[in-house]
Amino acid sequence: MAHTRTTQPVLTAHAAGLRGCRTCGRANAASATTCRRCGAGLSHVPGLQLVWAWLIAGMVVYVPANVYPMLRTQTMGRTQDNTILGGVFDLVQSGYWLVAFIVFFASIAIPVAKFVVIAYLALAVQWRWPMRGHARHRLYEVVEFIGRWSMIDVFVVAILSALVQFNLAATVAPGIAAVSFALSVAFTMLAAQAFDPRLIWRAAESPMQ
Amino acid sequence: MTDAPEMDVQPARKGFWRNLSPVWLVPILAVAVSVWIGWRSYVERGALIEIAFPSAAGVVPGETTVRLREVQVGHVESVVFSPDLTQVVVSARIDRAVADLLPPDAEFWVVRPEVSARGITGLTTVLSGVYIETAFIPQRDQTVERGLRSFTGRESAPLITPGREGTRISLRARDGNRLTPGAPVLHRGIEVGHIESPSLAEGAEGVVFDAFINAPHDQRITTATRFWDTSGFSVSLGTGGVRLGVGNLASILTGGIAFAEVQSGGAPLTQNTVFELYPDETSARRSSTLSDPGEALRIAAEFDDSVQGLTVGAEVRYRGVRVGEVAGIAARLVDMGPAPRVRMQALLSLEPRAFGLGAETGPEELESFIASQVAAGLRARMAPTGLFSTTLVIELVELPDSAPASLLRPEDSAAVIPSAPADLQDLTTSAQGLIERLGNLPIEDVLEQAIGVMAAVEALLADPGTRAAPGAAVALIDEARTLIGSPALQALPADVQGTVTELRTILAEFADARAAERLVATLESAQQVADGLAEATGEVPALITELRTLVARAAALEAEALIAAATRLIESADAFVSDEGTQALPPALASALGEVEAVLHDLRTGGVVESVNQTLASASSAAEAVALATQELPALAQRLDRLVAQAEGLVAAYGPRSPINDEALATLRDARATARAFAQLARAIERNPNSLLFGR
Repeated sequence: MAHTRTTQPVLTAHAAGLRGCRTCGRANAASATTCRRCGAGLSHVPGLQLVWAWLIAGMVVYVPANVYPMLRTQTMGRTQDNTILGGVFDLVQSGYWLVAFIVFFASIAIPVAKFVVIAYLALAVQWRWPMRGHARHRLYEVVEFIGRWSMIDVFVVAILSALVQFNLAATVAPGIAAVSFALSVAFTMLAAQAFDPRLIWRAAESPMQ
Repeated sequence: MTDAPEMDVQPARKGFWRNLSPVWLVPILAVAVSVWIGWRSYVERGALIEIAFPSAAGVVPGETTVRLREVQVGHVESVVFSPDLTQVVVSARIDRAVADLLPPDAEFWVVRPEVSARGITGLTTVLSGVYIETAFIPQRDQTVERGLRSFTGRESAPLITPGREGTRISLRARDGNRLTPGAPVLHRGIEVGHIESPSLAEGAEGVVFDAFINAPHDQRITTATRFWDTSGFSVSLGTGGVRLGVGNLASILTGGIAFAEVQSGGAPLTQNTVFELYPDETSARRSSTLSDPGEALRIAAEFDDSVQGLTVGAEVRYRGVRVGEVAGIAARLVDMGPAPRVRMQALLSLEPRAFGLGAETGPEELESFIASQVAAGLRARMAPTGLFSTTLVIELVELPDSAPASLLRPEDSAAVIPSAPADLQDLTTSAQGLIERLGNLPIEDVLEQAIGVMAAVEALLADPGTRAAPGAAVALIDEARTLIGSPALQALPADVQGTVTELRTILAEFADARAAERLVATLESAQQVADGLAEATGEVPALITELRTLVARAAALEAEALIAAATRLIESADAFVSDEGTQALPPALASALGEVEAVLHDLRTGGVVESVNQTLASASSAAEAVALATQELPALAQRLDRLVAQAEGLVAAYGPRSPINDEALATLRDARATARAFAQLARAIERNPNSLLFGR
């Protein structure tokens, strides 16, 4: 098997009937519920249902985040509603390619990539798809790291709404999509959090079980 | 390492539901919320309507809002052309709550910035872009159509938005020159409404436009209200001086109308009442009848004369009251034969109500009324408005003596009322004739003649003969003086003395002759006569008749002629006396009087007085005789009493009011009048005897 060649068979705590503390790293007995060193709660390796729950929630709220307006801009009495994608197109039409790319990347590419990656990882663990554990782990780390940057959009909306309040001249208010998008990012982050990377390795260890 | 587990411990298998994490609530909630939001926005997205506009300048899909009373109730979704490209169809989503109440005749218009004489409107749209405003009267009970509903949009804002409280009236004016849509309607200077676009009246001269009076003020308008044009400013020159009327600024720029109630007792309005718009306040206040444009009777009057001075709008008067006006003046060719004749035709617009024909009468009734009046002599004629005015009005006058005529009713035009020759012709010609005659008067000849007469008189007076006339009079008086001074006249006292002596003897004889006795006897016989008279009373009426004729003749005596002749005589004498030479007479007269005095002196000295004394003595003896006779007076008085009693009886027999008595009284009155006439003449002569001579 391709990945068995790359992954050295190693005795893990799990294989040894021990349970590692995720806080201080001490290996505790499998039956222990608290870490004997740091006292942190020792969760048994969770299943994937939390991941799926958060992921589905994040995907659900991502729909209104794209359908409803993110920003409600009022300039000189003229009200304009911008959805995320509409804003990207507006920026492209105005020639702001870089900004358009950033917005597109942060608001659409990353969340969508997160859904896909988390879903892939979860499915791969569940159905023990053959893959190299290192690549999966790196994928997981990238998703967890980059997930927070999706919030850049929410931050922009929040800052604009707070700053741009010039009555008739220009007023910016957050739309429904801003809340939805923030929730979606938070849910996917929770989903990423809920995914225990040890499952990757456990799946890698016993692909054929 | 203690008690390390030797085996991989499998967690106990729990049931599917027990194993389920509560985190699953989160996606369920998210789905629920999303679905709820989606469903709500679908439900609340509003109804789609289509509005057709002639043009859609500034309307942007997705941005342009639809507003009701300046509050957003929807937005435009798309702007497309109608299939035939004649209109722009704007699709808009309207909030359900509003859309359900939209009636089919709801008004939509695009609000744009607009600068007019009345101000600037829609300024906010300069920055925010245009929006579509709607106005309508909400219909609550209508059955809401679920499908796509279409409306027709207006190009500009309606002057009167639907649902506004007020009254709409119609006004009729001669022209719409000075009125622009939206011009204010003023009442005592306060804007209470405005007018809409004027349009040409159907089938009649002038224009018709609607005006809208806002709610609380429309109650001030009754059928007695008059409207007039306050556009611009008016200058009128009259007997009161120059009047300059200036309306408010807006009405100067856009035109405007004002109204006031010019008489009391107006009836409340119904919708769409038609009023006449008068050109100015004066004429509006002068008018007393409500004219209904459709009710005015068009009638023509034709004149052979020039109609100079007659203008369109001139009054038509009937018995001095304005009953209409001249609506038009034109020439008309009559007798199309070889010798064409042109008559001037004035088209009159008569108001039935001005004739007092009642509120319901129309032109037909008025025409038949006028036809009957024409048969009785009603004619139209031109008349000046004043003595020296050249402005003409048309009078409907009743000339029963005029030649019979009837109201002509041609098929294709207005009825023609027969006309009468104008009054002004007479006036003008007679005035002209008078002036001509004055001009032709031979004043210079008259003056020359007068000068000639004066010269003749002067020559006459300067004539030596005339100058000699007074001298002759003086000579006459001188002769009279010599006559008085003559010895013959000096002897006159002696003659007088003789006469007195004779008088004395006569008195003595009278005393001797027992005249009293004779008087008694006479009275007795008079009594007998009276007795006979009493018997002969049957003849008295005839006697009285004769007496009356006698008196009448006496009255008819030409005393007045006599007096007139005397007056003439006096006047001639006066004229004569006024002459210079006559002034010399008085001294001559004075000397003559002096002579007379001398004569009287002579008379006194000549023993005349003594003779008179003697005569008086004789008279006293005669009086004594009379006194003797009076001793018998009682008897005489008794007889007289009897006579009176008989006379009273006689009178009583006829009664106080009997004809004879009346006639006798009349006779006496006549006699008295005659006597008085004589007495007056006598008194006049007595009072001023020399008036006979000198006339003064």
